[in-house]
Formats: sequence, C-alpha cells, structure tokens
Amino acid sequence: MSVVPSRLRIAVVGPDATARNRLAMLVARSGHEVVELTAAPDAILTDGAIDSLPSAPAVAIGAVEGDLAGRLPPHASPRQIDAALRAVAAGLTVRGPTPQHPGFGSFAEDGWPVLTPREIEVLAALSEGLSNKAAARRLGISPHTVKFHIESLFKKLGAASRAEAVVKGLKRQIVEI
Amino acid sequence: MPDIMQDPLKGLSDALVERVRGMQWLVARIEVDGRPMRSGTLWRKDVVVAAEQAFAQVAEAKVVLGDGANFAAHFAGRDRGTNVAVLKLDGAPDPAPALQTAAEPAPGALALALGADDAGVSVRLGVIHSVGPAWHSRAGGRIDRRIVLDMTMSGREEGGPVLDAGGSLLGISTLGPRRRVLVIPTATVEAVLEPLLSTGRVERGWLGLALQPVLVPEAMQAEAGKSRGLMIMGVAKDGPAAQTGVLAGDILLTIAGEGVSRPAIVAQRLGPQSVGQPIELRLLRAGKILSLMATVAARPLE
Repeated sequence: MSVVPSRLRIAVVGPDATARNRLAMLVARSGHEVVELTAAPDAILTDGAIDSLPSAPAVAIGAVEGDLAGRLPPHASPRQIDAALRAVAAGLTVRGPTPQHPGFGSFAEDGWPVLTPREIEVLAALSEGLSNKAAARRLGISPHTVKFHIESLFKKLGAASRAEAVVKGLKRQIVEI
Repeated sequence: MPDIMQDPLKGLSDALVERVRGMQWLVARIEVDGRPMRSGTLWRKDVVVAAEQAFAQVAEAKVVLGDGANFAAHFAGRDRGTNVAVLKLDGAPDPAPALQTAAEPAPGALALALGADDAGVSVRLGVIHSVGPAWHSRAGGRIDRRIVLDMTMSGREEGGPVLDAGGSLLGISTLGPRRRVLVIPTATVEAVLEPLLSTGRVERGWLGLALQPVLVPEAMQAEAGKSRGLMIMGVAKDGPAAQTGVLAGDILLTIAGEGVSRPAIVAQRLGPQSVGQPIELRLLRAGKILSLMATVAARPLE
C-alpha cells in the first residue's frame, strides 16, 4: 500500500495568471511543492478548464467542465483546498456541499413537531448561545423551568445537544402570508 | 425467427421513439448567459412555460427548441406560488403547438417526461406514482393536483413537458422536496398564464404576517376552543395585519371563522379573489381572545 506523502507535488493551472499565483501561494503555504504540469505532479489544482488530458487527479474550484476527481465551490477555504488535494492524491473523489434546494413543496410537508410558545422562546435563546441562566433571566422564568423546556425540545426535535436542537429547530417552517 | 410485428417490447420501444420524435420540438432548452439552465415547454406559438424556482433573478434568456430553432426570449411573468414562469419569444416557431390537455391522471399510468440535455432532447419514462388532491405550495399557490412521477430527473430537465400514454399534456415537470419529480398540471399553468402574460404576476392576498404552527398553552385551550394555532412570529410594517393591531407573539386561532392549525388553511383564504376583502382574525393575546378585522391587500412584489 502506498502512503500519501504529507508534502505533495501540486501543479496549478488556470487561464488567469493572477488567480494561478494566488492558488500557488496558497498551496505552498499548506506545505506542498508547486511543480509544472509536466513534472509528474501528485495532483492538479485548477480554476479553469484543463486543455490536455490531466496526468494526475485534478481538483477544480468553481464551475469547470470535465470529469474531475475533485470539485469545490468558488469560495472554498484554504483548508478545504488542502484537504481536497490530499484526498484526490489518495484516489478519492471530492465534492463540495451541494446547495440544499428545498424544491417546490407544500406547507409543513414534513410534519415538523408543533412547539409551545415557551419552547419557541427558549429555542430562540439557545440559538443566540445564551446559557440556561441567561435564558431564564430574559424570559423571566427559573433556570429549572428553562431546563424543563429544553428537555422537551430535545424530545420533540429528536436532538441530542443544544446545537442539534437549534439546527433542527431552524428548519421549522415560518410561513409568510 | 420471431415476427417483429408480434414482439410487444419492440412495439412499445418503437412507439416511444415515434412519440418523442413527434413531440420533441415542444421541448425548450433555456440558456442564460450562454449556459443551459433548465428546460421549458412550448405552450403557445411564442410562449414557453418553465418552472419558476430556477429563474428567480433572471430576465433574459435564449430558447432553443427541440428541432434546433432558437429564439431570444424574455421572462414575461413569474409566479412563485404555482412555480410557473412564462417566457415570451422574439419570433414564433412554425407551426404553433396544438397541445392536448390530458384526461384525469391515474396512478400506474405511463408518463413520458421530456427535457433538454447537452445532447438534445432527453427522455424519462415512468409511471404516475400517485395522484393527490389540490394542494397549496409554501408560496401560497394552488396546484390543482398533486401528481408524483416514479422517475428521477436532472435539474436541467426540469420544466419540460410531461405526456401521458396518448401524447396529451399532463403538465410540466418540477423538482419537489428530496428531488421528487412532480407535475405542475396543465390546468394550473392555464389558470395563471393570462395574468402572467398581461401583468407579469399573479395577485394573491396578503396580511403581512410570519406564522408558525404552535401548541396553544394548556391553560388557554378551553378559552381558545382548540389546541393548535399559528404563532405570529413577525408583522410586516404597514401591512394589513399591522394596521389592525396584530402583534408579534399573538396566536392566530381562526381566520374568517375557520380554525387555522396549519398555514395552508390561511393560504387558501388568501387567493386572488380575497384582495380588498375584509377578513376576521381571532387571536389569543395574554390569555384573552380578541377579534380584529383586517383588509386583505395584494402581496407586494418580492
């Protein structure tokens, strides 16, 4: 089994010299060696079409045509680019998160649990990162009562943590009429 | 050697090919800024209908029909409620389409969905998975039937014609939640087509409220006469609800005398005919029931 070296040989290609330089600097800062396309790179990074058949797995940033091992959104972070290069060099396929298009649907199609007014207020406090004590102060109830409502929220939303409750709670549908 | 005329599978395949060949000129590839975005259906001689959800910010497009004819086009109207967008072509293909509206769809019937892909016309064949009654979309539009197709579809193909086995038009395809393929029925498109072509939009009632289903606190259920309502999460400034004194935090119980456990019920009350009409809102505020009269306004442009 071959081991992927921590320092990869990366070829940076693209139509625009400024963008290419920026990507090359970013790759170098991640600890990789920037090489020519002809110098047997471990992976290729590009923000434009690759003219010739790529000699190594390629990661494309933004909408680039072709059958590529890695695809990242236009605003991928340096960490994501680094992770994608390592992954494709190891033979994996990388895709950025696809935007969640909700699709054309009806009201409350998913049958989300119905919360009480107090639970909605507590959830709003959680989403702002307030502690139980701070939430209690804002809502004018005891921390014990806040805890009670949070437990009920966990149960209704099927959440195991405050963060999960907030994420799931945010999915609830507010309808503007 | 088996007689080809007797081979039903070959017969079906040939019939499908023939059907697609005859209908493909109705399929529009809609290109925006030089890139194919979605499909559409040539509805009238210079009108293409598409699924609105992909074109929220787009004004101009190029339309390439299945037979290669291409036209500059602009979005003449759009309705988020029914997910219908209407493109007007600069020029008109010849002949104009003469679409047959399909009979009432039935689960299990074959459905042929056409779209435009890189290669040209693309085809999906499946059955009608289910047919439900009229429903209301999140954006408040009324869709005459809930027709779900048993097929997958790429985004590019959305908006193309969906045909029944007789070649009649069931409607246009659209992607629903979890990428299920739904049909916007022909009748639904027809109902919004005229207002979209003449005014660019479909007027719908509006109260200026953001609502969320909520459990009525137990202590007040007896007073309210129900266990569920809609909590007012926001009130649009100067909207009809704000003008009559509705406040965030109120719980809406009934609208025009009808209980509102679900937002869809409110949407049903706010169809195009409701604009300008008075409507009674019963609310729960601080443990007391109160009744307010609002005058329904037209939903402002987004």
